[in-house]
Amino acid sequence: MQMIGFPGLVLTVVLILYVIIKALSGFDMAQRITFFVGLVGGSFFLGSFVFGYFSSNASGSSFLTLPASHFEKWLCGILIAGVFYPIVFLVFYCGIDTGFVALYHNGLDPSSPFYKQAYESVYTFDLSGVIAVNVYILFFIYTGAMLLGSLYFNKVSVIKTAIALCIICLVIFGANWLFASLLFGNIDDAAPFNHVAVPLGNDVGSIELPAGIAKICKYAFFYVMPAAFWLLSFTRLREKEF
Amino acid sequence: MYYLTNTLMIEIQNLSFGYKRKKLLYRNLTLSLNVGSIYGLLGKNGAGKSTLLKNFMGLLFPTTGNIAVNGFVPRKRWPAFLETIYFIPEEVYVPALTIDGYKNLFAPFYPKFSEEQFYSYLDQLDVKDKGKLNSLSFGQQKKFIIAFALACNTRVLLLDEPTNGLDIPSKIKFRKLISGVFTDDKIIFISTHQIRDLDNLIDRVIIVDNGELLLNASIPEIADKLCFKSVSDIPSTGKVLYAEDSLKGHAIVIENTEHEDSKINLEHLFNAVTENPVVAKSIFNH
Repeated sequence: MQMIGFPGLVLTVVLILYVIIKALSGFDMAQRITFFVGLVGGSFFLGSFVFGYFSSNASGSSFLTLPASHFEKWLCGILIAGVFYPIVFLVFYCGIDTGFVALYHNGLDPSSPFYKQAYESVYTFDLSGVIAVNVYILFFIYTGAMLLGSLYFNKVSVIKTAIALCIICLVIFGANWLFASLLFGNIDDAAPFNHVAVPLGNDVGSIELPAGIAKICKYAFFYVMPAAFWLLSFTRLREKEF
Repeated sequence: MYYLTNTLMIEIQNLSFGYKRKKLLYRNLTLSLNVGSIYGLLGKNGAGKSTLLKNFMGLLFPTTGNIAVNGFVPRKRWPAFLETIYFIPEEVYVPALTIDGYKNLFAPFYPKFSEEQFYSYLDQLDVKDKGKLNSLSFGQQKKFIIAFALACNTRVLLLDEPTNGLDIPSKIKFRKLISGVFTDDKIIFISTHQIRDLDNLIDRVIIVDNGELLLNASIPEIADKLCFKSVSDIPSTGKVLYAEDSLKGHAIVIENTEHEDSKINLEHLFNAVTENPVVAKSIFNH
């Protein structure tokens, strides 16, 4: 029931958020925030449920001793949090976004001198745009981390995984800050990992990683790390003692 | 890796296990459990009874040594292995499903599951269909899981403190049911510290304490080697393993050198073996 009820709850929250943010800050902000909250936030929490049997001795034993292979159990979790939920969310999101944008367009006065400008100021969210792609990457990182975290932390895995992720981020960004500070003394900015901004008189100069290394780092953070999280969750499930 | 064999047994060789590497709960435990017996695993709280069961089930992995159950290595938790074994933990888990919903969802995982037996066991244990399982009392949930486990007809059934949470009539029904369903091609392994609940049910007794196997003997063997009786004065000769004041003098457990017939008192046996492990081992030649 959790697997059905929770996505239903998230979709409802997304709808309410969309309406509130649209009214307060306009379409653009509403589209971005709800897309992030619905996809990344929803999958993150759902990821804690799919392997969330280890909060009690009884449910953990029951899950691990069910006569199905580790791969089948893992695949069920992956399909729920990584495939079915995102599909349901994207369909729902497209539906509400298209609906609200259409309502807005239909509500415009075609005889208004600003009709064209007002019409073109609002479009449906681009699901293949830069923002969407970044959200997809965050979805893979956070959901993968949660799947792995729920197999490492038996109790309150959501909170513990969130803390672990914060620590990882702090270490990555902090290390960049630390090394930049040691090398350049006074720095303006050194986050996340690919550049350091150094004040030069009244100006700020940016020192960036060489293109080749920056590309390797980007691939490591955006593709290798999430893939490792998802695959490690399988290994962890296989080796899980309870 | 696993090997197929027609011999149904649980075989433990030099098992060492500890939750911390430096503090082992079991050291070099070697034990063979054969088909056709209902084993009673007795031990104090924290003696490692549940831990041993979890090792059998593949929920915990031995630090060193080997375990084979039905010819499988439990830690692999292969479906073919899990189909042949059912573990009822002390606290049971039931999802928010009805009895039929639970059966429809989980029974297909067990090839030998019998629907007819399932409903019969539910009836015998007095479990009524009252909506969702998670709304039943703890005792009812436990009886439901016991009925389901028995209907799965697995070759090995592991029960951890099965009578905890059951009322007195349910304990009696549980004993009747277990002895009724038991067949010679199965192993039923019951871990408990409520020793009286196993009276007239088990045919082999295993006692563990401080990570050590103190006793693994059949009921006839125990009756042959130990004598349980009431005496007015504790004898000064012979190996008295345990003595307890009673209304008629003293209840004692003594080495059965005279080949007397006596009724085994599991509680006294447990006390005798845990208080005098060396003497008990010498009597049973462990």
